[in-house]
Amino acid sequence: MVSRSRTLTITLGLVAVTGLLSGCAGGSADAGSTGAAGGADAPATITFVGYGGGGQDAQIEAWQKPYTEANPNVTFVNTSPPDVAQVKAQVESGSVQWDVMATAPYAAQQNCGTLFEKLDLSAIDQTDLVEGTVGECYLGNWINATPIAYRTDAFPAGEGPTTVADFFDTEKFPGQRGIVTNLQNGILEYPLLADGVAPDNLYPLDVDRALDKLDTIRDVTTFAPNVGALQQAVEADQVDMFLLPDSRLVPLLQGGMDLTIVWDETVASLNAFAIPKGAPNKDAAVDFISSVVEPEQVAKISELLGVAPVNTAAKPQLDEFTKQVEVYGPANTGGTVLQDVDWYADNFNDVSTKLTTWLAG
Amino acid sequence: MTTPTRTRRTPRPGWLLLVPALALLAGILLVPLFQSLLRSIGTPEFTLDHYASLFTDGVTLTVLGRTAMTAVIVTIVTFLLGYPYAYLMTRVGPRLRGVLLVIVLIPFWTSVMARNYAWIVLLQRGGPVQSVFEFFGAGDIVFQGSVVGVTIAMSQVMLPFMVLPLFSTLGGIDRKLLLAARGLGSSPLVAFWKIYWPLSRGGVVSGLILVFTLSLGFYVTPALLGSPQQSLIAQLLAQRTTQLLDFAGAGALGILVLVITLLLVAWANRFGGTISAIGVASTSRTKETR
Repeated sequence: MVSRSRTLTITLGLVAVTGLLSGCAGGSADAGSTGAAGGADAPATITFVGYGGGGQDAQIEAWQKPYTEANPNVTFVNTSPPDVAQVKAQVESGSVQWDVMATAPYAAQQNCGTLFEKLDLSAIDQTDLVEGTVGECYLGNWINATPIAYRTDAFPAGEGPTTVADFFDTEKFPGQRGIVTNLQNGILEYPLLADGVAPDNLYPLDVDRALDKLDTIRDVTTFAPNVGALQQAVEADQVDMFLLPDSRLVPLLQGGMDLTIVWDETVASLNAFAIPKGAPNKDAAVDFISSVVEPEQVAKISELLGVAPVNTAAKPQLDEFTKQVEVYGPANTGGTVLQDVDWYADNFNDVSTKLTTWLAG
Repeated sequence: MTTPTRTRRTPRPGWLLLVPALALLAGILLVPLFQSLLRSIGTPEFTLDHYASLFTDGVTLTVLGRTAMTAVIVTIVTFLLGYPYAYLMTRVGPRLRGVLLVIVLIPFWTSVMARNYAWIVLLQRGGPVQSVFEFFGAGDIVFQGSVVGVTIAMSQVMLPFMVLPLFSTLGGIDRKLLLAARGLGSSPLVAFWKIYWPLSRGGVVSGLILVFTLSLGFYVTPALLGSPQQSLIAQLLAQRTTQLLDFAGAGALGILVLVITLLLVAWANRFGGTISAIGVASTSRTKETR
């Protein structure tokens, strides 16, 4: 067998070359599993799949480095993007290479036991965890709030939008809207809130009503396929008001953009880790993801990204930028709606298809 | 005399030369394609539902029509730009020809991503293109996020695929034939239409087919410059695969696009050996009547 470092280099190379060579990449996954088989202290290399970019750098800093310091036998290989279709392909072909994967919790729950491992997380102390953090097939790692925000100079001083309804009022507040088509960023919740649905009664979502309401701003809205594209559009002054998650607002604020956040009702969603079924280093992966919900790790990621903590015992030291987007902090003078993971898990395919059909129609 | 011995000796080694290419094709194209096909008709058991739903889901046909229209426009635009350009390349001296070739190839060598992002910068709200329209009093025209923007950028991205086959064909046309036509009393225009144009058909057809089929399945430009509201077929495929994990449905959609493409190619080959149907029909008819 080739030496460990050589195997690693090959793995990295293959990951870069993507699935075309999945046959060979499967070989390197075998190398990983031999490492894990030797017991808890045996060396293991966890293949960690994140969303890439600054977010993943922060995860390496806040979670992977401390973990490797505490468990020198465990190292990480980082890759991206965390595509559930890839998991399906890996599971179906019987050559699973990923150990830990960032995902929307409903995607993990939707495919619980088929594409993702059922997890025994009973060892985790749940006293201080936000409700719903521990799922059958996922473990929440942070909460993303996607507040309504606008470029301060897009409206006369003191006359910008202040409510969710204002976002849909094109007469009083003309201007280009920006919405991410991910279901995690409130594309369906905000129109319903604007249409008068009480935050407590949002679920089950009335998708048709939401789409009808979206129809009213369709002509003045830029629909972005992902948060990165919308962040870029905001940065380039392409949109005036938008639904962008906290962790994407922070770099814009840091970059000197003058943004105002509308704290009326704010939609937030849980972000999670899941473990693909048949992951070569499952035990090490479970131990690792359990470590990221501890107060210190939770605080660190909030400080770095501006995301909201899943552990209420975490005491992040926020700076002037992350403070502005702190959904559970003093900045938020309105209410917060946390997305219903169960509802999304049960209805994802229908909702997603409906939305796509509406968008493409 | 030598011919029989040659034909007896060459077949085997000649055939062997194809083996690496065939093995590669079989491994990375045919096998996965066949798997997709099986999946699309065999999930969970034999069924044509995945194909039927393409025609009834209310979105596939819309998007397919939009995609075909975009591909047609891109093909026409690249042809109108590419033919004169390739013609010019055959008429200038070697040095200028080299320069013209490099101009075509530079974008070809540049990363497709870089070119698409450049187009974003040009076409976005407040970008140079909008400024030009603004100058002429039409400030609200923003191409980014629309099919128009996608078409503009795709035409540029696809241009080399039109120019290169055209150039290789046009370069091989014996211009003495045109001289002969002129000598026999033909006007330049007639000489071009009756001699040069028919001889260039092969290149025209391959350029048209190449650009059209590539455009039909193009993903990068629509994904970056288009928008979910005006998505093209490749975006729909990606959504079906990566979000819905509907491999069978995605397979069915992929196969449908493939079949449409193959039919078009077959059609183009049939009529196209002697260029686009209308062109052939009119030229051959004029020939007969005279």
